[in-house]
Amino acid sequence: MHAAGPPVDARAIVQEAQKRGRASSQRYEGLLQTFEAQGKTSEKRWIYERLGSYGASKVIIRFTAPPEVRGVTLLIVNHPDKASDQWMWTPALERDRRIALQDRSTRFFGTDFSFEDLEERDVDQFDYKLLGEEAVDGAMCWSIQSTPKLSRFSQYTRVINWIRKDTYAWTRIDSYVKDDVVRRLEHRDLRNLQGIWTALQTTMTDLRRGSITRLALDKVEYNVPLREEDFTVEALRRK
Amino acid sequence: MRLLRLISWQYARRHILRTALTVAGIVLGVAVFVAMRTANQNVLLAFSQTIDRIAGRTQLQVTAGEAGFGEEILEKVQSAPTVRIAVPVIEAVAESGLPGQGTLLVLGVDMTGDRSLREYDLSGGQDATVDDPLVFLAQPDSLIISKDLAEKHHLAVGSRLPLQTALGERPFVVRGIMEPTGLATAFGGSLAVMDVYAAQKMFGRGRTFDRIDVALAPGATVADAERQLTALLGPGFEIQPPATRGRQAEAMLAGYAVMVSVSSAFALFVGMFIIYNSFAIAVTQRRSEIGILRALGATRRQIRWLFLCESAALGAIGSVAGLGLGLLIAHATAATLSGLAANLYGVAQQASEVTTRPGVLALAVFIGVTTSVMAAVIPARNAADVDPVQALQKGRFQVISAQENRTRIRLAGVAAGLSIACMFATERRLLFYAGYAFALAAAVLLAPLLSGRLARALRPVLTSVRPVEGALAADSLIQSPRRTSATVLALMLSVALIVAFAGMARAGYASIVQWMNTTLNPDLVVMPSPRFDLRTTRFPAAMAPEIRALEGVERVQMFRFSRITLNGVPIMAVALEMQSVAQTTRLRRPVAGDIEKMFQLSAAGAGVIVSDNLSRRLKLSLGDTLDIPAPYGTIRLPVVGIIVDYSDQQGAVLLDRTVFVEHWHDDSVSDIRVFVARGADIATVRQRIIDRYAGKRRLFVLTSEQSRSYVLNIANQWFGLMYVQVAVAVFVAILGIVNTLTVSITDRRRELGVLQAVGALRRQIRRTIWLEALAVGAIGVLLGCALGAVNLYYVLDIVQRDVAGLRFDYEYPVTTILAIVPVILGAAFAAAIWPAEAALRLPLVEALEHE
Repeated sequence: MHAAGPPVDARAIVQEAQKRGRASSQRYEGLLQTFEAQGKTSEKRWIYERLGSYGASKVIIRFTAPPEVRGVTLLIVNHPDKASDQWMWTPALERDRRIALQDRSTRFFGTDFSFEDLEERDVDQFDYKLLGEEAVDGAMCWSIQSTPKLSRFSQYTRVINWIRKDTYAWTRIDSYVKDDVVRRLEHRDLRNLQGIWTALQTTMTDLRRGSITRLALDKVEYNVPLREEDFTVEALRRK
Repeated sequence: MRLLRLISWQYARRHILRTALTVAGIVLGVAVFVAMRTANQNVLLAFSQTIDRIAGRTQLQVTAGEAGFGEEILEKVQSAPTVRIAVPVIEAVAESGLPGQGTLLVLGVDMTGDRSLREYDLSGGQDATVDDPLVFLAQPDSLIISKDLAEKHHLAVGSRLPLQTALGERPFVVRGIMEPTGLATAFGGSLAVMDVYAAQKMFGRGRTFDRIDVALAPGATVADAERQLTALLGPGFEIQPPATRGRQAEAMLAGYAVMVSVSSAFALFVGMFIIYNSFAIAVTQRRSEIGILRALGATRRQIRWLFLCESAALGAIGSVAGLGLGLLIAHATAATLSGLAANLYGVAQQASEVTTRPGVLALAVFIGVTTSVMAAVIPARNAADVDPVQALQKGRFQVISAQENRTRIRLAGVAAGLSIACMFATERRLLFYAGYAFALAAAVLLAPLLSGRLARALRPVLTSVRPVEGALAADSLIQSPRRTSATVLALMLSVALIVAFAGMARAGYASIVQWMNTTLNPDLVVMPSPRFDLRTTRFPAAMAPEIRALEGVERVQMFRFSRITLNGVPIMAVALEMQSVAQTTRLRRPVAGDIEKMFQLSAAGAGVIVSDNLSRRLKLSLGDTLDIPAPYGTIRLPVVGIIVDYSDQQGAVLLDRTVFVEHWHDDSVSDIRVFVARGADIATVRQRIIDRYAGKRRLFVLTSEQSRSYVLNIANQWFGLMYVQVAVAVFVAILGIVNTLTVSITDRRRELGVLQAVGALRRQIRRTIWLEALAVGAIGVLLGCALGAVNLYYVLDIVQRDVAGLRFDYEYPVTTILAIVPVILGAAFAAAIWPAEAALRLPLVEALEHE
């Protein structure tokens, strides 16, 4: 299944992919749709702002729809070497709260993403192995297996990443628990925006639950002027 | 077995009523034992099941008494390497606006982490709705309820459910319904789950949590985590497995269990005398039969075994019947006990299905049979000692020889001496109970002698009523001291039990009234819930100055009640404004310490006042230093006063509010006591307070009378159980006198036949028996009242040391006794009617041949 290729350093590929996706900041409007196995669907809209990139970024997600979650704001502070810190502002209670993110396998607010799936991970936390090359959606990709150096770092036993050879953009990620694929992330509608290859459609499939979550990005901007002081708990309270 | 079938069974068949009455004593004793043990166990079982269901997969719980602790503790706990998951919890009891529902336990949890600890088995595919904590968290009116609750009140997802909160009645929205498994079955489904931060706001908790539930990291042991968290948090926190919470319920019910054991022991004790009396009479009646058996070669050992086996068989029959009756009573009592244990959660435990451990049943049968056999030991020995030649000599048995009397007096003297000696070492539990047993033994030993003396003393009274019949009745009693004393003993013990229980209820009531008069003296009490014992909803401290500013208010006092654990005992911490309370208290006589000084020192934060029951429990004296663990540092203060206080059964420590706020970082208030200015109308001020917070805050403003009657109502719950015990004791007394009199009159058919033969008229014999029964009743009551005085002393001490920990003043229950006397005498009289008529109906010849 895997085509033979020149000996390539898997870690270097991942590092290069991360490097190419780097921007000092990012903003987009997202539409998150969850389709449950029983046919039930739910939808949320948010405005996403990120300051910094891989490993040391700060993110603010401001929910805009549906009405019952409008105004709820999430502040995520990513760390290169440990799980992210998260706070939430709830306008109805007029207070912030720290999200006790201890079980990172917990689903992210009813979607098929787990909290861990949304974290930015440092390359040094994993061991990499190039499995080969393979075409995904008509584009040749490297197939790279990443295994956590310490099992407590991840809920997954291993992850297989498909990175396009031409753009170094991720196209697919399969996450395994023991020998079973439990989640599949697929990036579609790849566009080069301000020099960064960006998937405007991302689909996460929970293979155990049989449910799918789609994230559609709109109005994507990179390197927009964002202020450091807006990415604090105090700023959540102010807004 | 053959002898049992040929001899004993035939005898029992001929005396079926006597046999039934004999067995009744054991039935009652075993029934009381089984009922109370079973009810107790079931309530505790229901409670521990509730704890398990609420705890889910929680391995450890971090608490700091009822007061809770600041949110920052959560991060500390989460940082411990032995902790995998730590989630905050708030528990509040809220009245629902649902018709007929009453209160609900509201569990405030953090849904982002809580599902790792507790199963929320959501029905009808609503998983997506509630599984999205974002909606649940964003809307503070979100509730998940149990399916039972939903079905009972026809609620569905999206339905409104009104709940009484600290902010008044609020409409909540049902956003999930749990299947009736695990968590949803706690409290029979009377449970709702909401966001912990919303719960903080709704129930006036500020930024505190009640507890943190912890699941351990893989490989970590409970002991490791306990050690690590204790080191991390300090001594002000308790880190224990969830099951430990059951200890509080056990502690609350333990006192009641002791009283029930005393009651059951007395019932068995009385049963023992009934059996003793029946067997003693049976031995007398069957002397000729025994003589024949002995003449035919039966050994003394065989005769002794025959009677012991008879008693064991009766004991077994009585025990089995007692088990059935006991289980029936347990069904009825479990609900009452559930109510008593309810204030641990504020929602009654559901102990509707009564199950019994086989061990309890086996123990009950063992106790029943053993009691029965023990009661028959002396009659069996007497039967074995029957000389075949003397077997036909009747009447000798009833006489107590001078030698026996002397021995009894000596033994009674020794028992009384030992009992008095034990009184000097009552600190030792064993010696205290030994002293009690010796006092009872002395009374039992002296009873025959005293009943003889009293019978002699009653002779002139009886002859003045009816010269002939009175004399005959008195002489019969005097000449048969053994028979008389058996009835008297059974009655004496029962009356002593009645005196003790009635005295305790009366003393308790009087003491509580007196305590309320001295401490609960404000004109108005403002509370966030209609119940003093519901401490889960509190007021912010800012309310006190707001109320003080109202026209007509002269003074306000903030009180805070919070259960804490001191030296492993769950006690009540009462935080109050000492300086202000010193000016309004009517307390004049503390148990130890100087009134002015104790308030002065405690107001300055230089000491604490402890309740009398706590001082006894922890052996505290004036000046001793008390280390009270608190979340923000241990309070180390001397005891500056000891007072009588009934705030809590386990004991109370009273400290200045500033000390509490400093060490708990919590200034919320359990209730606010209002003193109205001179000349101001209490009702008007009350209305002003209600109007001030109308629509903003839920509050209850109780007048002085209302708050007192509330406390008395709670006290009456306990005293109600005491009166049930009194009723049991009266029943035992009636059973005892009916049994022993029936047996003894039936036994005297021959003697009555002789009287008829020598010319006594039937009505004279009838009156003689009536007078005799009344005289026996009077002697029993008289001796019972005397023994009751001693018994009350011991029972009050037991209440103080092993039941409620509360000191009640000794007060003899004269009124109850005056009410009981006609009942007992009436029972004695009624008990004599049927056997007297039966004896008189017997043809003269047959009566003379009796025995």
